Amino acid sequence: MGWRQSLQGADVPMARTIYLNEPLRNTFCKNSISTAKYSMWSFLPRYLYLQFSKTANAFFLFITILQQIPEVSPTGKYTTLVPLLVILVISGVKEIVEDYKRHMADKLVNSKNTIVLRQNAWQVIPWKEVNVGDIVKATNGQFLPADMVLISSSEPQATCFVATSNLDGETNLKIRQALSETATMKTEKQLSSLSGKIKCEEPNFHFNSFMGTLYLKEKSPISIGPDQVLLRGTQLKNTEWILGVVVYTGFETKFMQNAVKSPLKRSKVEKVTNMQILVLFLLLLVMSLVSCVGAIYWKDRYRAEPWYLGKKDYHSFGFDLLVFIILYHNLIPISLLVTLEIVKYIQALFINWDEDMHFKGNNVYAMARTSNLNEELGQVEYLFSDKTGTLTCNIMTFKKCSIAGIMYGDLPSKSDDGAKDLSQSPCFISDAYEFNDPALLQNFKNDHPTKEYIKEFLTLLCVCHTVVPEREGNNISYQASSPDEAALVKGAKKLGFVFTARMPNSVTIEAMGEELTFEILNVLEFSSNRKRMSIIVRTPEGQLRLYCKGADSVIYERLSEKSLFVEETLVHLENFAREGLRTLCVAYIDLTEIEYKQWLVMYKKASRAVRDRIQSLEDCYDSIEKKFLLLGATAIEDRLQARVPETITSLLKANIKIWVLTGDKQETAINIAYSCKLLSGQMPRIQLNTNSLEATQQVINQNCQDLGALLGKENDLALIIDGKTLKHALHVEVRKCFLNLALSCRTVLCCRLSPLQKAEIVDVVKKQVKAITLAIGDGANDVGMIQTAHVGVGISGNEGMLATNNSDYAIAQFSYLEKLLLVHGAWNYFRVTKCILYCFYKNVVLYIIELWFAIVNGFSGQIIFERWCISLYNVIFTSLPPFTLGIFERCCSQESLLRYPQLYRISQTGDIFNIKVLWIQCINAVVHSFILFWLPAKMLEHDVVLQSGYTTDYLFLGNFVYTYVVVTVCLKAGLETMSWNKFTHLAIWGSIMIWLGFFAVYSSLWPTIPVAPEMTGQGNMALVCPHFWLGFFIVPIVCLIQNVAWKSIRNTCHRTLLEEVREMESSGVQVLRRDSSQRSKVEEVNLQRSVSPRPCQVVFRNNSVDLGAPHGYAFSQVERAVISQEELVRSYDTTKSKPQRTFSATFE
Amino acid sequence: MAMNYNAKDEVDGGPPCPPGGTAKTRRPDNTAFKQQRLPAWQPILTAGTVLPTFFIIGLIFIPIGIGIFVTSNNIREIEIDYTGTDPSSPCYKCLSPNVTPCICTINFTLDQSFEGNVFMYYGLSNFYQNHRRYVKSRDDGQLNGDPSALLNPSKECEPYRRNEDKPIAPCGAIANSMFNDTLELFQVGNASDLMPITLKKKGIAWWTDKNVKFRNPPGTDPLEERFKGTTKPVNWVKPVYMLDSDEDNNGFINEDFIVWMRTAALPTFRKLYRLIERKNDLHPTLPAGRYYLNITYNYPVHSFDGRKRMILSTISWMGGKNPFLGIAYITIGSISFLLGVVLLVINHKYRNSSNTADITI
Repeated sequence: MGWRQSLQGADVPMARTIYLNEPLRNTFCKNSISTAKYSMWSFLPRYLYLQFSKTANAFFLFITILQQIPEVSPTGKYTTLVPLLVILVISGVKEIVEDYKRHMADKLVNSKNTIVLRQNAWQVIPWKEVNVGDIVKATNGQFLPADMVLISSSEPQATCFVATSNLDGETNLKIRQALSETATMKTEKQLSSLSGKIKCEEPNFHFNSFMGTLYLKEKSPISIGPDQVLLRGTQLKNTEWILGVVVYTGFETKFMQNAVKSPLKRSKVEKVTNMQILVLFLLLLVMSLVSCVGAIYWKDRYRAEPWYLGKKDYHSFGFDLLVFIILYHNLIPISLLVTLEIVKYIQALFINWDEDMHFKGNNVYAMARTSNLNEELGQVEYLFSDKTGTLTCNIMTFKKCSIAGIMYGDLPSKSDDGAKDLSQSPCFISDAYEFNDPALLQNFKNDHPTKEYIKEFLTLLCVCHTVVPEREGNNISYQASSPDEAALVKGAKKLGFVFTARMPNSVTIEAMGEELTFEILNVLEFSSNRKRMSIIVRTPEGQLRLYCKGADSVIYERLSEKSLFVEETLVHLENFAREGLRTLCVAYIDLTEIEYKQWLVMYKKASRAVRDRIQSLEDCYDSIEKKFLLLGATAIEDRLQARVPETITSLLKANIKIWVLTGDKQETAINIAYSCKLLSGQMPRIQLNTNSLEATQQVINQNCQDLGALLGKENDLALIIDGKTLKHALHVEVRKCFLNLALSCRTVLCCRLSPLQKAEIVDVVKKQVKAITLAIGDGANDVGMIQTAHVGVGISGNEGMLATNNSDYAIAQFSYLEKLLLVHGAWNYFRVTKCILYCFYKNVVLYIIELWFAIVNGFSGQIIFERWCISLYNVIFTSLPPFTLGIFERCCSQESLLRYPQLYRISQTGDIFNIKVLWIQCINAVVHSFILFWLPAKMLEHDVVLQSGYTTDYLFLGNFVYTYVVVTVCLKAGLETMSWNKFTHLAIWGSIMIWLGFFAVYSSLWPTIPVAPEMTGQGNMALVCPHFWLGFFIVPIVCLIQNVAWKSIRNTCHRTLLEEVREMESSGVQVLRRDSSQRSKVEEVNLQRSVSPRPCQVVFRNNSVDLGAPHGYAFSQVERAVISQEELVRSYDTTKSKPQRTFSATFE
Repeated sequence: MAMNYNAKDEVDGGPPCPPGGTAKTRRPDNTAFKQQRLPAWQPILTAGTVLPTFFIIGLIFIPIGIGIFVTSNNIREIEIDYTGTDPSSPCYKCLSPNVTPCICTINFTLDQSFEGNVFMYYGLSNFYQNHRRYVKSRDDGQLNGDPSALLNPSKECEPYRRNEDKPIAPCGAIANSMFNDTLELFQVGNASDLMPITLKKKGIAWWTDKNVKFRNPPGTDPLEERFKGTTKPVNWVKPVYMLDSDEDNNGFINEDFIVWMRTAALPTFRKLYRLIERKNDLHPTLPAGRYYLNITYNYPVHSFDGRKRMILSTISWMGGKNPFLGIAYITIGSISFLLGVVLLVINHKYRNSSNTADITI
């Protein structure tokens, strides 16, 4: 089968020609790579470009330029430039540090060593010196330095195995096979004498396609396909060595071609913030215009300006406007962006540091690959999850079986123990967790009536498969392309039926110590159509026998009437399926020699068929697979990752809707949905499996009608749809109906999806529902949806890196999602939004004061504060509180957030951060600034506040106001802070002290240091002035008393769940005690509201709804590989010893 | 952000090590900081928890307010407007610019005697000393005695930077518009005889201004020499080195000048003009009775609807008379107390009902 291309090399445009052993004629790019963003020279221009493409930074640059115009700036030339530079330097340092790491990593890769053939000898050279056309030798376990065409290998038939998990995330090994024409070239001499050329396509990013032609001298051209190509980034496995000729290097390798930049994602909060900056900008314009009008009015009042002002020139309206824009420009917080950048960076570090998300199994910590989306984690409404490797470990365990109508392995106490053990080290199989039912062996040994069946059953498990055993000392490990088969063989081994050796035509097993050899006559391969696989063997007794295992549906229809235990087994199958186990029925039939011979003739004919060979083979298989005698059924557990059901329950409580999108089969998906409690037994399942647009439309409409009024509400329904149907369902006409239907169901399972469809469905939900979506997956097929969703989470630590590399957050286990969302997400949302609102608040407070002052200074644009004090406001005096808010704020403890997932809704709904909230905050700030200006202004109305009777000046008032602003703003941060730790105290009290200290020092610099002459003596005078201190206590209190009163009244009258939880925490009620009556009441009430929708009482009038018990059949097997399963198993002789083999991908 | 390629993936044995770094460098210490378990105080803001604060604020602020208010009320202050806009005013004649010099006399009566040091201020209204072009029109370098700035004043002083090709000292609009009325005070004795009251010129400016910020050009020569090459401000009658006969109160360190140079915050402002020191403990500084205020009226304010006042005031520990702060304290204290009561009611109401209240999300 495979998909080796026919000789068509000639009609494909071949853009690249590689000459063998002629290095000078191959001039392509180097193999060294660089993933760094900047180089030494490009740093400055590129960095500046990136920074000034941010609107806010561009705005401040514009202000800086305006300030250079003489006469315009009320605050001097450099007062915006300096803070802007400080901010640019800070984020510049961050960029340099990050880029330095990338440079180092590149260097490490580029200097790795590999062996190439140069001057007729093997030489060790670093990766970066590998050129196109080089012949490279790689040994087992090595990563390949470039894309190359396989020439030969150490293995039989010139095959080799590669782990492609870095590229596509698939954990099974891929087989590559060299062309038979080159398979014999193994020595230096042979290789050096190789001459000819390879023509192939231009570099591209398709992993699974390659078109090339090999022109060897004096030989006809041979086509090269993907089966001959070894890609950079893959790792050689189970193969002693390979030789390959390099075709693509460096950035032209498929690996690097795939390393496109992930799309830049912006969080919802960021978008709202940009919106708010715009609002503030409008406010700035309005204020400037009002001030300009005020200036005109003021000038009009005097007809001529008063004589003492001197100059009689009138400024134009435009000039005044610029003056006021500069005066008020800091309404837009200059430090906001850099503050957020640092805050989010630290939040990301907290995620990386979290021990609760540290998977000790392979020492993997959670990793925030971007810090842009930290707060988005707190707003997730739709969760799209991959199945394999995300919900499951992708490890199959033989759990239960039913033999001759008796169920074994149903030991609840055992499985409980197992679960406990599991929580410690998930995904690592402990013996206690595997099939362990002594009854089976007892029955076997004590000559139970079913003894023969048990023996036959276990023999079947040992014989009927395509697993290859590997013997290392006394240990036997199994290598299988189907994890189900590996699980069954391992299960049989535990029960004393050990599959020991495979030879091309036979298998040897040890049945309870007795060595038996079965001659394998035919392998009737598995395909998803057939849903079964059979094997025809000659037993040691010489009997011809066909063993078959497959789906209950296909086996049952082929049972002979004589078959026993049919009813009992069916009941057991249903039980297995309800628990979410993957079931297979096993059966056998004894064949007579004549029967077999007749069939063999048919088989040979079919296998030679030119047309529809697969179809005729399957027909042929079918003809002998009949009149089965049922032996029983197996139940395999597709092991869920630790705490998956609990996590899902918790996320559901948090009002997150979970959709499972999988490329896997429908049966498997349903099994998993049952075992992770997404589906429950009595939940009606709407299954959409159609083939045409019309049918899809019709069935969707029908279901919508059946739902009637319940449409659009959350119902206790499951929707199951496959890829083919989904293609139609996402058609423009049907899309809306389909989404309505899907959103009315509690659970949605989409099966058999292509990676593109996964991305598409995420995109549709994202656009139609306008909710925040999160996609989680581990494989290459999840990359699309991970990139499409608002937040992409990759499961890391397994071998696949592609999902991780494209994700925004990487975690080792699905269950860590709970902490990531409910704790980090919620906290980060609170932190970021509070930080942003606070930054807006503090700037509005300070700069609206200039407007109040403008009213009394004739709208001249005079500033009331010293110019550098203004500039340092955001950089020093009020820079710390936003950080503590952004880094340390906690609405309540982690335990509470995890215990009450309902708390997640506060951040999910986004009620605490929107334009309305911003306006409230702004109005609050305006009120505060009003108080902050007019109270001191009235206090100093008569200029005589000093004990020595001295009079004061405008800056004296300015310093009063500034001090009160700093105090008020810092205390306001304290008021917003829900959790004060030592840093909060430091930031709040520290900021006030820093200002007072600075004030004292700064007032005595002139003329020693030529700055701030107008500040001279201000500190000495103000700090001893009784009014200053009397105001120091009253002004902030006047501002904040309203906030405190409002807050406490609201908290008292309208107590939120959050408040309740916080009160519980601080009143010392042990959060860990579950049986507190009050809490359980809270929990109950909320539980009822959030999780359990009404039981669905819809009467469905269509046949797409499945109310019956689920079927558990599921089986995974690679189909359409380069070599068929039969060929593969027949190529092994495991009785011969093979040195230097390491099997990292065996199912041990 | 980052490219989706991680070079370390390719390092041998890469997959088992966590992405983005080796296991060695990424092992965090399990500190409370890193695990976000720092001990923290969670303030609970409910009516019950904050109401004591409100009462305390009320209880503290009201007495303080009363204290401040009483202190302010005990300060003696008298304000005399001598602008002369009213035709009945003795200074009405001075509004016309033709009368030079114009001297007018206003008599007033002190009902109560002023004790302790008495401070004499002049006050101007509707005078925008805080106007941007006014505020910046000075050269602090020049005022600090910097010789180069003396002869080459800052551009900010325009158009009062140079006059007739000579640099103006002191330059700028502030100096140019210096207040130049002369005020004299006479006590009307028992026999209608006028007893002049000693007005002290020195000690009216901030110490730092007098000694740090303002300095005459360096040198030991007479002041006139040191100011050589400069010219007087356009509006001034005398050059800066002739402001006073006292060497220590002349030139840039003339205290009247220094006081004027501190530009006021509001368009209505006062400037300290003279000190009347108390004589001894037995006699009040200014006993109750009749007084004459003698004004040499130079300063034009009529053109911009300004007003001129003379203020006599005593000083307490908290400065001059201003009841505002006291009232503010009393008001805030009362409001706080009232809010406390409101909260008490709310707390009472909701504490009883909270047990049965439905928990809302």
